Amino acid sequence: MLLAVLGYAASQLFDNFLSSFGFGDVVAPVDVPPDADGRGDPFQQAVAHPLLALVGLVLFVGLIALVNWVSWRFSRFRVGGGQVELRQGALFRQHRQVRLERVQAVELSRPLLARALGLARVVVQSAGGSDSTLSLSFLDLSRAEALREHLLELAGRNDEVTTDPADAVPHPVVPLRPVLAVPNGRLFVATILHGSTIALGALIAFGLIGAGVRSVGPLALAGIPALLPVAIGIAWGRVKELLTHGNFQLADAGTGVRVEEGLTDLRATTIPMHRIQALELVQPLWWRPVGWWRIRVNVAGSGGLGEGEGHRETTLLPVGTLDDALVVLALVAPGVPAAAWDRAVLGEGGDPAWRGQTPAARWLDPISWRRKGWSDVSTAVLLRSGRLTRRAVAVPHARIQSLSLRQGWLESRLGLATAHVVPAPGPVSPVVQHLEVAEAERLLAEVSARARTARRRSEPFRVPLAPDPSGLVDWTRHPPGAFEPERP
Amino acid sequence: MADPTSVTPARADAVTLRGGDLPWRPVSPALARVRLITLGIVLLPLLVVTGVLAVFVTKWALLGTLALVLVGAWVAWVVGRQVSAISWVELDEEIVIRKGRLFRSLVSVPYGRLQYVDIQSGPLARAHGIASCEIHTASPESGGSLPGLPVAEAEALRTRLAARGEAQRAGL
Repeated sequence: MLLAVLGYAASQLFDNFLSSFGFGDVVAPVDVPPDADGRGDPFQQAVAHPLLALVGLVLFVGLIALVNWVSWRFSRFRVGGGQVELRQGALFRQHRQVRLERVQAVELSRPLLARALGLARVVVQSAGGSDSTLSLSFLDLSRAEALREHLLELAGRNDEVTTDPADAVPHPVVPLRPVLAVPNGRLFVATILHGSTIALGALIAFGLIGAGVRSVGPLALAGIPALLPVAIGIAWGRVKELLTHGNFQLADAGTGVRVEEGLTDLRATTIPMHRIQALELVQPLWWRPVGWWRIRVNVAGSGGLGEGEGHRETTLLPVGTLDDALVVLALVAPGVPAAAWDRAVLGEGGDPAWRGQTPAARWLDPISWRRKGWSDVSTAVLLRSGRLTRRAVAVPHARIQSLSLRQGWLESRLGLATAHVVPAPGPVSPVVQHLEVAEAERLLAEVSARARTARRRSEPFRVPLAPDPSGLVDWTRHPPGAFEPERP
Repeated sequence: MADPTSVTPARADAVTLRGGDLPWRPVSPALARVRLITLGIVLLPLLVVTGVLAVFVTKWALLGTLALVLVGAWVAWVVGRQVSAISWVELDEEIVIRKGRLFRSLVSVPYGRLQYVDIQSGPLARAHGIASCEIHTASPESGGSLPGLPVAEAEALRTRLAARGEAQRAGL
């Protein structure tokens, strides 16, 4: 318990420590003009004195520690009555509850400091934006793990029931089966192989060559300061990518997939299978020589737009070979056969199962019109596009939110239309551009018919009756009964 | 499915970008009036400014007046065409909304995916007895909006959509 206090306080303290420097800068600017009567502001003089400033800082830090300790002391949570509840704050009380059937994902986050102290934060994500996240910071690692398992088990009972009633029994908690891990070396190379870094590299090479030529030399040198912020920005983006996806491991957790990643802040997220709304298999041009692919998904809820604590996992494979990718896809989208994926990412025109490839689209898209098309497999609709950056998207029929057709005036002239298959939001946006109008209308009709039957098959959303686990009620050291939640 | 009598018994595959033979329902022409009034509110002060300039400063400001009049006439023409292009139809399991002539769009939203339906009307729209009906699903980009429904019609549509949405509700 003491560890938990220390961990929480230390982590908060570090944050506040950083911001306190910002504060210091504000009250003690270096070149304050003296007042009219020749004296400086006494407060600023006082702050300017190094010893006083130090005492002030210590007091400030102590106060923050105290506030954090009190806030930790008053935080409690419980699991029961079909929901997770968290109460926080002594002065400003906050009571947040998330119904178990609305739980989208349960994540374990371990910042560096917490990792050193053997602690973990449990983040419960639910539909409805970053505001609906419930963050339990911090618990002992083993307890956090147990809680996560338990929550997932409870939340997983609300899986959509399949047509086969034998399958409808609650899923038992299956032991994790490791599926694959991405070596950090490969990730490093893949991170460097990115459009921005390649463009920057080309620019630098160009600049160096230019510097060699005498007449342009000074000009090339003058360009360096302008380039520096851009270079730093790009480098930061790449480093962040590396930090996020380092130590990537994916495991099969029965009702979901468990993703563990992070170079410093190790996070473990379990994405329930039925929350995956759309999948994308993509190969940027620069990955083609090495044959690497990336898988991203849309997960129901805030759609990967959130950041920080409410960060939602949307990458199921940061980089991997096609075989790796197919293994992951077989796990998360069992309805789509590997052969279909193969044709979706590599095929080009002339395939009876793939419709699209409108010759008239050549005028709008001379490079990849032959790739653009769609196909219908048993449980999902597949869309493919991109000849340079190859891309294939799958949306399960049961996850289609709506369908739309758009037509710009150029498309209208050429008799083309663009079809959007809209799943819940996320990084993947499924679209087939420039289909013949009749073909687009056929897509609309066929896919909506498929979606209709899929919707009927999936059980209506019911409020589950999650059992009250007495062992889990009030896990902090306060005795049971010390915390009675208001019942609506 | 909840109330089969009020649903158009049409096959969904008849939905086409240009309409087809479905009983598409237009929105109220009052929407065009409301949009024209808004246009007038924006353009009138500008017209006055250019007119005053023409009288007191330089005749060349009349060119601006002319440009404004031309732009106004063009926008008015576009508004008329836009409003007459908005139409919708309620099928067995989806509501389909069509918009636009130059840039056409068609959105098909299944009742089972509806999260909520918004009805909004500003003071000007209210004065003309119309409201806009906005349909929201779990995806912000997939909803549709139907501007310019008569208020009673909008309320009735919302009730119908809510009832069918409840009956055909599908999980996320």
